[in-house]
Amino acid sequence: MTETLQALAQGFGVALTPINLLWGFVGVTLGTAIGVLPGVGPALTVAMLLPLTAKLDPTGALIMFAGIYYGAMYGGSTTTILLNTPGESASIATALEGNRMAKRGRAGPALATAAIGSFVAGTIATVLLTLLAPLVVEVALKFGPAEYFALMVFAFVTVAAVLGSSTVRGLSMLFVGLLLGLVGIDDQTGQMRFAFGVPELMDGIDVVVLAVGLFAVGEALYVAAYQSRLPETMEKLSGSLMMSREDWRRSWPAWLRATAIGFPFGTIPAGGAEIPTFLSYALEKKLSKHPEEFGNGAIEGVAGPEAANNASSAGVLVPLLTLGIPTSATAAILLAAFQNYGLQPGPLLFQTQGALVWGLIASMYIGNVLLLILNLPLIGLWVQVLKIPQPLLYAGILVFATLGAYSLHQSVVDLATLYVFGLLGFLMRRWGFPVAPAVIGLILGPLAESQFRRALAISQGDPSVFITHPISAALLAATVVLVLAPWLWKAVRERRRGTDRAPG
Amino acid sequence: MGAPARSRVELALSLGVLALGLGAGIVAFSLPDAGGYARVGPNAMPQAVAIALVALGGWLLVEVHTGGWRDAVPDDPAERGEHPFVFAAFAWVSAGLFLQMALIHTAGFVLAAAALTACVARGFGSTRVARDLGIGVVLGLAVFLFFVRFLNVNLPAGWLKPLLGGAGI
Repeated sequence: MTETLQALAQGFGVALTPINLLWGFVGVTLGTAIGVLPGVGPALTVAMLLPLTAKLDPTGALIMFAGIYYGAMYGGSTTTILLNTPGESASIATALEGNRMAKRGRAGPALATAAIGSFVAGTIATVLLTLLAPLVVEVALKFGPAEYFALMVFAFVTVAAVLGSSTVRGLSMLFVGLLLGLVGIDDQTGQMRFAFGVPELMDGIDVVVLAVGLFAVGEALYVAAYQSRLPETMEKLSGSLMMSREDWRRSWPAWLRATAIGFPFGTIPAGGAEIPTFLSYALEKKLSKHPEEFGNGAIEGVAGPEAANNASSAGVLVPLLTLGIPTSATAAILLAAFQNYGLQPGPLLFQTQGALVWGLIASMYIGNVLLLILNLPLIGLWVQVLKIPQPLLYAGILVFATLGAYSLHQSVVDLATLYVFGLLGFLMRRWGFPVAPAVIGLILGPLAESQFRRALAISQGDPSVFITHPISAALLAATVVLVLAPWLWKAVRERRRGTDRAPG
Repeated sequence: MGAPARSRVELALSLGVLALGLGAGIVAFSLPDAGGYARVGPNAMPQAVAIALVALGGWLLVEVHTGGWRDAVPDDPAERGEHPFVFAAFAWVSAGLFLQMALIHTAGFVLAAAALTACVARGFGSTRVARDLGIGVVLGLAVFLFFVRFLNVNLPAGWLKPLLGGAGI
């Protein structure tokens, strides 16, 4: 405990240096601005900026990326409340109530409860991250390659098969991601795989090209084709931002309950903030003394999901920093940012790069304060960002997206690959294939393969190593249960329904 | 688009996954073994991935033939809160990206970005071509100068080389 506090104090020493404060400020400001833009999420933002950081110092760059990550969560709520087009899936729950509140002229209190709730939840979740991370590191130091491989399989399967609307489409995208991750030189033997003699493919497929292609080009093609001719309606930010005594009384229990839901969901591979925000919304609806207001602008319905959203985004950093396991598309791209600096998140990073990791965690405390200031008094500024006409907004997104891909190798091949992934992203969006498993597969696949081969090298090729190690066996068993449980449940239910219907 | 059109697309996409798996399999099973102590070499993971993709493609095909994909995205655009597919919009955005690829190494980054901006804005329904081109030039120029001067990322100056005073390549 005292060690943790010492480490955190050291982290504040790093985060409070003027240059790192500046990077943190740039990150949260950029994150908010971009989070406000409809159609641009944190995953895309971090991906577009990845190639540009080659010349920055890792601590500053990672503090900036973390700032973008949770800044975008704050910014997203503004768009949702005023525009009713959720910038990210985690904002859908807020859209239900927040936009209704805005329509009834209560945009101010809706924005205020979202921002203050995000601050409260984000800060509590960061405290939990601070306390929990050293404990997970203790356990993780005992992990060998077999345990890591089992953990990665668990993460793959939960993200791909259990979340989303269809197990088979989720798994298909996971394996497409894994296949893309195999392209290039095999680290261990130097064997060339799936490169077909194309020099640009020999280094492997860069996560920037995949993520930017799927998120930016695919999104632009899709929105142009299916949404560009829709009329846009933006609610006015009228009246005061002040929350009434009644608003406060109804908001704060929702914030705390949502933090308790959001943080644990962030730490497990559950695909980020989507599930906890919906759970929080459902819980608030159930507990509310004013259930009739739900659907017409109940403040708890904004306070809860927004707080859950931010608590889970801090929770996601627990497995990312302590185990090196990304559980959402954004976390996968953050992992790639670490890798660009030759850093591998995991328990060893806490020992070898303690200043960097704790500086990053300390910067989150500071970032939350900055975001509260940025998002309440300066809200009018962000509303202006929303007024950019859609044609110019998407043109700008594509200029930056192509720039990110082109600057990797100064090559038109990367631009062509980007378009191919854009087409893929378009098809995936239209036909209901999830994006996150592909991105996670690409980033985590090569790590899983090397852990798999290392485990087998240690056991001299004996595959039973994965089931004789208890932690590995338990994780693999949990994976099997997670995949089979919904099927078994469905089968049992159908059988029961069958017996109910049976004449008697 | 009625049900037959939907099932045709689902069939094509399912076959696409299957074909990807088969193609990956052909490559994976011709890779050398070279396992060493681990007894699994650089071919093990590619083979596993290829087999999984073939299986998933097959699974998708089974769903197509047993009433269509499960929990699919609604076919009716109105149900998704969208309008029907606008081919011109899709084509303009694509054209912008291709034009940029064609221009970036000849006309340079700034003019390629301007062409991209104008085409994409057109795709999204803008009719003010001159304004869009102008904004594209300004945006491209700002990005170009920031990257070349401050981040030392080299971008092609192209036809504007005399104006840009030796910046870029």
